[in-house]
Amino acid sequence: MSFEMWAEKYRPKRLDDMVDQKEIVERLKSFVKSKNVPHCIFAGPPGTGKTTAALCLARDLYGDGYREHLMELNASDERGIDVVRETVKTFARSRSIGAIPFKIMILDEADNMTSDAQQALRRTMERYTETCRFIMCANYSGKIIEPIQSRCAPFRFTFLPREEHDKYVTCIAEGEKVKLLADGAEAIFEVCGGDLRRAINTLQAAASVNKPVDAKLVYSITGRANPADVQRMMDTAMKGDFLDARKQLRDMIQRYGVAGSDIIRQIHGEIFKAEIPEPWKIKLADIVGEIDYRLVEGSDEEVQLSALLAKLVEAGSELKK
Amino acid sequence: MKFLYAAWTVKHKPRSAADIVGNPEAIKTFSDWAKSWSKGVPKKRAAFLYGPPGIGKTVTVEALANDLGVELVEKNASDYRTEDAINRFAGLASQYGSLFGGKRIILLDELDGLTGNADKGGVKAITEIAKTARCPVVLIANSAYDPRFTNLRSHCLLIEFKKPPAGEVAKHLKRVCEREDIQVDENALKFIAQRSEGDVRSAVNDLQALAQGKKRLSYDDVSWLSYRDRQDSIFNVLRMIIYGRTCAGAKQAVNMADVDIDMLFEWVYENVPAHLTDPHDLAQAMNALSMADVYRGRIRSTQDWSFTRYVIDYMTAGVAMARQNTKVHGWIPFKFPGRIMMLSRSKAERAMQLSIGFKIKRKCHISAARASKEVLPYLKIIFKNNADMAARIAKWLDLDSEMIEYLVGSKEKAETITTFLS
Repeated sequence: MSFEMWAEKYRPKRLDDMVDQKEIVERLKSFVKSKNVPHCIFAGPPGTGKTTAALCLARDLYGDGYREHLMELNASDERGIDVVRETVKTFARSRSIGAIPFKIMILDEADNMTSDAQQALRRTMERYTETCRFIMCANYSGKIIEPIQSRCAPFRFTFLPREEHDKYVTCIAEGEKVKLLADGAEAIFEVCGGDLRRAINTLQAAASVNKPVDAKLVYSITGRANPADVQRMMDTAMKGDFLDARKQLRDMIQRYGVAGSDIIRQIHGEIFKAEIPEPWKIKLADIVGEIDYRLVEGSDEEVQLSALLAKLVEAGSELKK
Repeated sequence: MKFLYAAWTVKHKPRSAADIVGNPEAIKTFSDWAKSWSKGVPKKRAAFLYGPPGIGKTVTVEALANDLGVELVEKNASDYRTEDAINRFAGLASQYGSLFGGKRIILLDELDGLTGNADKGGVKAITEIAKTARCPVVLIANSAYDPRFTNLRSHCLLIEFKKPPAGEVAKHLKRVCEREDIQVDENALKFIAQRSEGDVRSAVNDLQALAQGKKRLSYDDVSWLSYRDRQDSIFNVLRMIIYGRTCAGAKQAVNMADVDIDMLFEWVYENVPAHLTDPHDLAQAMNALSMADVYRGRIRSTQDWSFTRYVIDYMTAGVAMARQNTKVHGWIPFKFPGRIMMLSRSKAERAMQLSIGFKIKRKCHISAARASKEVLPYLKIIFKNNADMAARIAKWLDLDSEMIEYLVGSKEKAETITTFLS
């Protein structure tokens, strides 16, 4: 069966195929070698290979029939306590047939599980350790309750660095016979910031236009796919219209599903480009950092970012004086 | 006259009994009784109006007094009502009333508010007045059948007020809209009227919160109200927080709210910016809310609910103490939390996005929720640009024709893709 979406088609199959996240991959390989896997938390921003790593690990461990020993649940879609009590438990307690005595349960987007469900999960993890190992993938590990965190080996995934990103994207472009210009690849990295899934989706969308992929094309594609006009929002706030700025923020998050971490990264970038007195830049950066940390701790994206917008309103009014 | 920021329940209160919504029989009985005083003292000297809140009992008395051109002497639950206090007030009024031939109506409102100790002897004093009054005495309560009123009842003409039908309430709302020069959908009014369950006052309050400052009010603007239960009190709670002068006062608001902490947070978060306009105050208040939210996160991750107290500290006292420079001026309406409103809108579109999300999920190891936000925008671009690639993806994901049409955005283009498919 051929894959029509490139992000899927070029998803690495084995741990050896994975780009970057070297240390993590090495540790996972050692799990395969010893044929033992602890409960794990894969934490990190989207598009950095968390799910891929889990799937590769399973394939390396069980071989091509890995599907029979694996269950993948998406906590965003099935996050209630009933799922943990029934689906997860049933899977976890049944014995595995084969050389390896345990199965693997991938809980994707686990930070979206309700805390009730997480509480229920913690018992299940403990009781059925012999027959089932859990891999929890999450953007923010802070949203996973501590008792679960303490039962898991933590792995922190980070955005791909520029070279790895370019290598991968270029490789796909070659495979699909797409003409990808150097500034096109640079633009993809600039807008996707190392989120590989988004990078590949951007590449495919750009390629659908049937023109060589250059920076201009990439920006026009992402402008439409990702209407996070962070600069406009910041201007609105600096001019003093907090309510309008918050509305723009709300649209980005709710209607277009832009991730809070993306928005804050862009705000951070804009601050140093903005025409404001130098001392203010570092003052604002300090606040951005604090808010970023609060986000990672697992707080509400809109509330946190609008606190930041309010600070921008204050900065704007100070500048007018 | 500065009516701009007046509450509409006051501004558009019926001035004449003829304008009152619903209860025609009750109003007629009451008005006949009041008029009969001109021919001498009737058998029952007191009328006891009872019925659920907000349906026009007090307004009826006020409007009728206005129609008849008599003075209304009023006392309600906010006044102190011991036996002595009532005797002083009512005794005087009833005597003077006789001198001018019933040119005065005495109204004792909110009798339910008579509390055991503080208003000791109050019911007894009122009963005495009802027996001997020389001018019309009107009593109002939500329930006439409270055991405390057993004796009092027998000396009164009992008049029951019922909830007016939604159609009548809607008519009144329409009149208000006409006077405020607001264009409004019939459906929107019907919706507000139905939700109020006959409580005209709360219906008008709702209408003001939704429509003030607008030229048009559509059904979409009001439909999210269904999320809301009867929350007259939430406005008071918000006032206590956003305009609180002491930490204790602001914190106390939480106990009065009949919504949970998360919902109260949404209300505060929505309304702070409009009420704290000074940039420094605003930043301060938003930071307090941000910290409250941080503690909510800490509760989630540690499951230690005792942290709730810090959430409350920040979202109440933290917000109240942020007010340093903002001046209080005029009446600014409180708004329903916009984030929750947004969720209730465009349901159909989100349903479509999600169903495509589920198709993507089956192939791409990503949740449907996330796929509908992160992958779908790219699909839209591909579908608009490249029918061949689109057709292959549609087949691979097993999209149906409706989904294809949604992704390309037009029927004709969807057909080109489907022809590629076959």
